[in-house]
Amino acid sequence: MFPVRTAERRRWALVAGAAIAVSSLLAGCNGANGSSSASSGSINYALPANFTPNWILPIGTPAHLNTNNVSIAASLWEPLVAYDGSTGGIGWNKKASIASAADFAPDGKSVTITLGARHWSDGKPITSRDVQFWFNLIKANKAQWAGYSAGKAPDNWTALKVLDDHRFTLTFDRSYNDQWMLANELSQITPLPQHLWDRASASAAVGDTDETPAGAKQVWTFLNSAAKNISKYASDPLWKTVSGPYEVHSFSTAGKVVLAANKKYDGGEKAHIPTVNLLPFTTTDAEENALRSGQVDYGYINATDLDQKASFTGQGYNVKPWTGWAITYMPYNFQNPTMGAVFKQLYARQAVQESIDQDSLSKVIFNGTAVPGYGPIPQAQASDFVSPAQKDNPYPFSTAKAKSLLTAHGWADQGGTMTCVQPGTSASQCGAGVAKGTKFRMQVLSQSGSTVTDNMMSAIQSSLAKTGIGFSIKTAPVNSVLSQTPQCTSGQASCKWQLSFFGTAGSWYFPAFPTGDSLFQSKGGSNFGSYSNPQVDQLITESTTSTSNNAVQQYSAALAKDLPVIWLPEPDYQISVVKNGLGGFAQDSLADFHPAQWQWTGK
Amino acid sequence: MSAVLQPGRLPGDGPSAEPADGVAAGGPRLAVRRFVRNRLAVVGLAVVVLFFLFCFVGPLLYSTDQIHTTLTQVNLSPSGSHLLGTDAVGHDELGRLMYGGKVSLVVGLAAGILATVIGTLWGAAAGYAGGWIDAVMMRVVDAGIAIPALFILLVVSAISTPGVPGLIVILGLVSWLVPARLVRAETLTLKNRDYVHTLRAIGGTHTRAIGRHILPNSVSTIVVAATFQVADAILLVAYVSYLGLGLQPPKTDWGGMLSAGLTATYSGRWWLILPPGLAVILVVCAFNAIGDGLRDAFDVRGRG
Repeated sequence: MFPVRTAERRRWALVAGAAIAVSSLLAGCNGANGSSSASSGSINYALPANFTPNWILPIGTPAHLNTNNVSIAASLWEPLVAYDGSTGGIGWNKKASIASAADFAPDGKSVTITLGARHWSDGKPITSRDVQFWFNLIKANKAQWAGYSAGKAPDNWTALKVLDDHRFTLTFDRSYNDQWMLANELSQITPLPQHLWDRASASAAVGDTDETPAGAKQVWTFLNSAAKNISKYASDPLWKTVSGPYEVHSFSTAGKVVLAANKKYDGGEKAHIPTVNLLPFTTTDAEENALRSGQVDYGYINATDLDQKASFTGQGYNVKPWTGWAITYMPYNFQNPTMGAVFKQLYARQAVQESIDQDSLSKVIFNGTAVPGYGPIPQAQASDFVSPAQKDNPYPFSTAKAKSLLTAHGWADQGGTMTCVQPGTSASQCGAGVAKGTKFRMQVLSQSGSTVTDNMMSAIQSSLAKTGIGFSIKTAPVNSVLSQTPQCTSGQASCKWQLSFFGTAGSWYFPAFPTGDSLFQSKGGSNFGSYSNPQVDQLITESTTSTSNNAVQQYSAALAKDLPVIWLPEPDYQISVVKNGLGGFAQDSLADFHPAQWQWTGK
Repeated sequence: MSAVLQPGRLPGDGPSAEPADGVAAGGPRLAVRRFVRNRLAVVGLAVVVLFFLFCFVGPLLYSTDQIHTTLTQVNLSPSGSHLLGTDAVGHDELGRLMYGGKVSLVVGLAAGILATVIGTLWGAAAGYAGGWIDAVMMRVVDAGIAIPALFILLVVSAISTPGVPGLIVILGLVSWLVPARLVRAETLTLKNRDYVHTLRAIGGTHTRAIGRHILPNSVSTIVVAATFQVADAILLVAYVSYLGLGLQPPKTDWGGMLSAGLTATYSGRWWLILPPGLAVILVVCAFNAIGDGLRDAFDVRGRG
């Protein structure tokens, strides 16, 4: 009996199908050459795959926290202080800000803000009262505000005193670093049209409802309820009065947003393109197909597709990597019962870092879309925060040096793997807690799904092997990596992980001022490997409160030398594909977009 | 409570006087002659032998470093020094094809055999026992078939990262269901033959009935199923590796090589896709052709 005829046909059909599929892959699909949608009057911008805009209110709530929502809202209502990367470097872009000056008191405990002579689109002036309105709403509803972190704004703002229509003073609970306050806290303030929004309901009269906490809660509820009605964004009068360069023309619940230039705008960043179409896509592949057919003027491709640059340039596009304000790293688990004691030895971490050829990884594996990172401050952009020590790479690549470092500390090469042969705590011994016979073998739990990451791990494995350090790779989806590599103590079952990698598109994106309180402070919420160094804790605290950048530079130098994690190349946020002739802008490394800067240059 | 094996009887099943097995009836020489008559099967066998030689003897003649990466020699096109070019981390692609082929063939073969062994034992026990035991065992099979193997593999891969032995066990455990059904159906027929009844009448044990009579007479079905299981297992290894959930570097297999080379589709680096793709297709086709040939060799009905 051979009941396999049907199954056999199906099997042959499958094989034939596989052959056809492979042939199709090899033949390639170059896509249709569609006509360009580019014109001086409009632009088509591709939103990230699988994202649909769903919030217009310029006050984020946790459920609607997305950088693209923020970008759209900032085009409608300009922030008090636009502290971003839109000018090419991280800094205060005064042209896109309502405030024209911020004068910090010499003791760093207050700031006096001066507003520019600006107007709402209905002709009314923008005043200090509009800022106070925002302040009152946030103070009364801080728990619902996405930007809230206990002890930070608005907790550390003790009072807002209006001096006149264009000046107010904000006082703090202690002295703070000016730049940190500007970049991480004041940049979150958006003046709101108090003369229209300060009411408890749509039918209520506008007044000073926000001046009591109860009233402010009512206003908050009213505005949030209105903001939940996406289909009314284009028609509700509430959203018609704006301060930014654009207003909403249409806002589809399916994700397409059309912005039209605000003709009454009197700020420094006037819209150059009258109509901006923000297009949603379900997948990157779908977006790439739209690019190939010319339906998108400003889109993106996967980093792995960078070698297809020629096919896009041939279709009239520029391929422009978009660098992020982020660092990339692999945390050590200092609490791991097997390797924790080894990881606690600085010389061992040095040997690991010296075995990683970041220059080659950046150039070859990442196709030049990453830059080497040697410390806790992002290095893809120039900034005043990076210390010379971090910039100069304290531990340059040299497997020979790494090997001799280990042998000088009581390790010997046994069968290709370094093994501790001289346990003990003296300078020439393996160090506290490292037992005789301990093999220098580590395992990383790495994010799956990225060829670039897989290739990087292979290259790291190869160079570590030259030093005599074993490096095995286990992969899992990124959410699984994060859940399997928690903070732990050595006795816990969850502490078996040794190294973790979740940075295919960058491990950690910072606000403008890159403080490490969450990442590297002993009690930091995202200090995955339980790194602890009291001196670093002190430096982190000083970096947010000191009035100079010297503290953050000291923090940068300390962590570049102390290696709390394995520093790795910092990849780009996105590989943008931009239609020829679209210019006038820099891609914001804080991952926001600024449509008012876009312009058709005709080149 | 212990289950007692009771040979069941299907309505309409008539007793048969002797085994109907092709090999037993015509002898191995006839079976070989019938296999050789199937040209595609012979070609298939030759392809499989060639690939085994390529993967296991090839590295002795064409030695390459498949452990360390060479970032100064990435994505080189085929040349005298690298006959099939290099990949994105500088591995020689021809050497990688041999290196990955070893895993694909070993895992495919071992997992296919494991699946056949499990399926054979399960199917024979279920078919021979009959009654509620058969019902329960086959519902387990039905339930297993209802869950896509790929889904199970993805879940397992998300939980752990298997090595080669682990991959063999996992693939074997998700692939035994179809052989179990085939052998169970064969057993339902064979257990009602006279020689089985006679064995039971003279006090022969159930184990002896299954081990000495039913399984040997099912060998043709089992062998044919095994060849298809091997082909399926090679494809499954490729699927899992293609999805990035297979073996970890520096190990690889043909599916993993395909996955790694996919991004080169638009870049014209055909040597990263075509060789592993063709290797998978050729070997899977070859095993299928061998299966067809074995079926012809064992099939008593077509004999003239």
